[in-house]
Amino acid sequence: MATAQATPVRPAQAGARRGPLAALRERPAAAKLLLLALAAVILVPLVHSRWGGGIWPDALTADLSGPLGSVTDWIVSNRDNHPLFLYFFGHISNAVVLSVRAVYLVLLALGWAGVTVLAAAVAWRVAGIRLALTAAVSFLACGLLGMWVPTMQTLALMVVAVLASVVLGLLLGLAAGLSDRTFRVLRPVLDTMQVLPAFAYLLPVVLIFGIGVPGAVLATVVYAAPPMARLTALGLRGADGGVMEAVASLGATGRQRLLTARLPLARKELLLGLNQTIMMALSMAVIASVIGAGGLGDRVYQALSSVDVGAALAAGIPIVLLAVVLDRTTEAAGRRIGAEPTGPAVLRGWRGWTLAAVATAAVALVGRLTDGRVWPEDVTVAIAGPVNTAKDWMVDHLYTGVPVVGGTADLASHFTSGVLNPLRSGLTGLPWWSVLLIVAALAWTIGTWRTAATAVLAMAAIGVLGVWEPSMDTLSQVLAAVAVTLVLGFGIAIGAARSERLERLLRPVLDVFQTMPQFVYLIPVVALFGVGRAPAAAAAVVYALPAVVRITTQGLRGVDPAAMECARSLGATTGQQLRQVQLPLARPSLLLAVNQAVVLVLAVVIIGGLVGSGALGYEVVLGLAQGDLATGLVAGAAIVCLGLMLDRVTQPTARRQRQES
Amino acid sequence: MTATQATEAAVEAADENAVFSVRNLWKVFGPKADRIPGSEHASLPPAELREATGCTAAVRDVSFDVRKGEVFVVMGLSGSGKSTLVRCLTRLIEPTSGTLAIDGEDVLAMDRSRLRELRRHRAAMVFQHFGLLPHRTVLDNVAYGLEIQGLSKAERRAKAAELVEKVGLAGLEDRRPSQLSGGQQQRVGLARALAVDPSVLLFDEPFSALDPLIRREMQDEVVRLHREEGRTMVFITHDLSEALRLGTRIALMRDGGIVQLGTPEEIVGSPADDYVREFVRDVPREQVLTVATAMRPALAGESERGPAVRPDATVYEAIEAVSRSGDPAARVMDGGRLVGVVDQACLLDVVAGTTDPGTATAPDAPDGGPREVTV
Repeated sequence: MATAQATPVRPAQAGARRGPLAALRERPAAAKLLLLALAAVILVPLVHSRWGGGIWPDALTADLSGPLGSVTDWIVSNRDNHPLFLYFFGHISNAVVLSVRAVYLVLLALGWAGVTVLAAAVAWRVAGIRLALTAAVSFLACGLLGMWVPTMQTLALMVVAVLASVVLGLLLGLAAGLSDRTFRVLRPVLDTMQVLPAFAYLLPVVLIFGIGVPGAVLATVVYAAPPMARLTALGLRGADGGVMEAVASLGATGRQRLLTARLPLARKELLLGLNQTIMMALSMAVIASVIGAGGLGDRVYQALSSVDVGAALAAGIPIVLLAVVLDRTTEAAGRRIGAEPTGPAVLRGWRGWTLAAVATAAVALVGRLTDGRVWPEDVTVAIAGPVNTAKDWMVDHLYTGVPVVGGTADLASHFTSGVLNPLRSGLTGLPWWSVLLIVAALAWTIGTWRTAATAVLAMAAIGVLGVWEPSMDTLSQVLAAVAVTLVLGFGIAIGAARSERLERLLRPVLDVFQTMPQFVYLIPVVALFGVGRAPAAAAAVVYALPAVVRITTQGLRGVDPAAMECARSLGATTGQQLRQVQLPLARPSLLLAVNQAVVLVLAVVIIGGLVGSGALGYEVVLGLAQGDLATGLVAGAAIVCLGLMLDRVTQPTARRQRQES
Repeated sequence: MTATQATEAAVEAADENAVFSVRNLWKVFGPKADRIPGSEHASLPPAELREATGCTAAVRDVSFDVRKGEVFVVMGLSGSGKSTLVRCLTRLIEPTSGTLAIDGEDVLAMDRSRLRELRRHRAAMVFQHFGLLPHRTVLDNVAYGLEIQGLSKAERRAKAAELVEKVGLAGLEDRRPSQLSGGQQQRVGLARALAVDPSVLLFDEPFSALDPLIRREMQDEVVRLHREEGRTMVFITHDLSEALRLGTRIALMRDGGIVQLGTPEEIVGSPADDYVREFVRDVPREQVLTVATAMRPALAGESERGPAVRPDATVYEAIEAVSRSGDPAARVMDGGRLVGVVDQACLLDVVAGTTDPGTATAPDAPDGGPREVTV
């Protein structure tokens, strides 16, 4: 605690002694702001007199709809006969269609019993008996909900996309893990790709592959491969130097070093990469229903567009079950690495796998002979009806006029009119140059001049693209949702950091919430709040909250116990401990939590375009729906810029330094 | 390397028995490191060198021979360059300049495959943090060096099992490194190095990460191995008592250079400068110095009385012998010949540190083996 109190004092004293310049050097943030203010004083009058205030000036926009329109027209008209499409994209597209089809047929041939047993057997082999049961129950539940066929469609798409992502990610990761130069080039690209909302990836693939399964698979691959590549590279680079030196000292060749040491040492990271890739792929495979992925996502999408919450839930539950099974299985497999094999010796190693294969084949055969391949129609539970009844009841009783708290719809409209609208008009009312200045000031004080430059350029690009107003609309939703997320998240996290019991209660909840694909969050909020901007913001808050709570709790708990002990021994109250020790020491975690909140909220606010949040997300959906790809592409580019800007503005210096080292 | 240095090296290179022969070796880290050796900056102290050039000289102008069958200890505090030096020997770290030969063969001129041969068969290393592969069993870790060499699974496992037994880990073959204690892990590291049957064993502070008792046990293990096999060893340590216990000869390093090179007795008995003197100040001298350095010529009538001690016995042993016998002095007998006597005054002088045995030339340990300092 002594250091925490002493630090702010020392620079001030030093500054008083050494004059104002030295004082500024001691306080880099003040120096940066001063420099920025100087630049503003000189530039703003010039810029203002020339282009005026208010929203982004027309003179500075480049109308891209013309050229983009002609590009899309050209692509659409040449898609069937240009050699580039015939011999390159055409082959990719055919290969994707064929492999998805093949996997789908295999799944159908196995029958529902075969697939269930297969899933349980694989889960048993890699993760143990409990997850085998979870897998079996989850697959049966998918069948019971009458969603067997869409589940298999999604699964087939997932299998192909995950395989392709893993291969692509491994290759990129190997390249970046073994070559410093590739790593330096690839790292920022991969980092940036991870912060971009899924929606931004849809338009370019649609442009080339059209609407359908190939585009959906490729969008999924592009979205899901980066974590694999990133973690492979990090795992390979993070190999224990001592072990690698020992291996070299024994005279191993480069290949031997890679195969016998570097890759095995990175197994944890590789499996974590696989886990993240699968989760991202599922998330995207569901969202890609917008561009024709079919399967479960499509059911949710269709149901949501007619506000049929019951049907959406019936398709949403299998998505969540699939997510939980896939996540827990790969996670458990990662945890079991390096542990002693358990269970009876007869079932270890290849014997266990043989048993699993035999069981699957036997069950599939029995299913075939008894003609039980298709899930029996009469053994389904139609939950859509009851759910819709419940929802109607909710609409009647909870939407308005609940005593004290008010109704959910009231709440939503209050939020819209009281927070979102003023914020939006405030943002659009700000002179455009002041927005750039604020972005620069924030990014520079938190990060480096590089992050600030990227953020300002990204923001300016939005203006140049001519989508300033919808972007400000999206930005206002993001800011409002982030504020709510942070208030709730920090509050819960401080509680969880102080009470073991609360943390134990929260953990499973957070686990489940962090596994669910973004798309699924739209279902309950539509049920509760209807459609509009407030529900989208609510979904974003719910989606981002678990990550914020988790990072903040870990940060607060991770505070050096010696510092805490010292504070306690000096007689600090819990409030003083929190304010003077925990929060300052957990600053890096808090900043990371803010960064994550911003990135996650943006992703869902954009998807909110599907439930009436308007702005950039809606323009993408509109572009897709009307085949007006130029509009969609511009909105997609603006989403990329917005994502880039928000990430860079909240990117702490420490994180960048760690990346560079 | 300059011409004068080369001739110097040629003059110095004499020892027929040298396994490693190191002359004027430099390792400089930093920008344009290769310009430092031989330049006007070469003799600057570390801080000034970094100020002037941005470079750090981890090893500066080091020359020594490692003789066949000896335990050559390189000792120094952290940052003295000893770990860098031992890595230079097999070019795990590439030296900046100088010459380096193993069994008369120039190491720095070796190409990659030749260097790999050197690492595979001639010099094996034991590391401070063990460097075991966490995903392999004890047996497969020990067999790893042989696997690299391309031996068949059966062959390497048989050889590895033998060595696991030898280092006292029998029964733990199927454990993983994470399930072993630190001492056991280092035994695995030792077995792995021994498995390839190298002509030199290099130890890089192998026991620094271990508890004192385990460390002692492992040192005994090394002494035992050396006595049984007579293998040449280069042993890096920052622990003076370990150095004195194990070393046939000790090279004391400071700021990258060797301050003094000699037997433990020479280091303790006649420190080359104040730094070494300060370093060995707390060493119980009577446990390191031999009676040969402390004795005086026998006077008439002394040749018949008193207990007999060998010249290489420690002063501590002589004190014990003298006080047991009740005689005022002990006779120093080499074979059947009387070479001198140590009386109580001689012995007390050693304990009190008032003698200056610097002039006395201490005989090398007769067996060339590691010395048991305490008895």
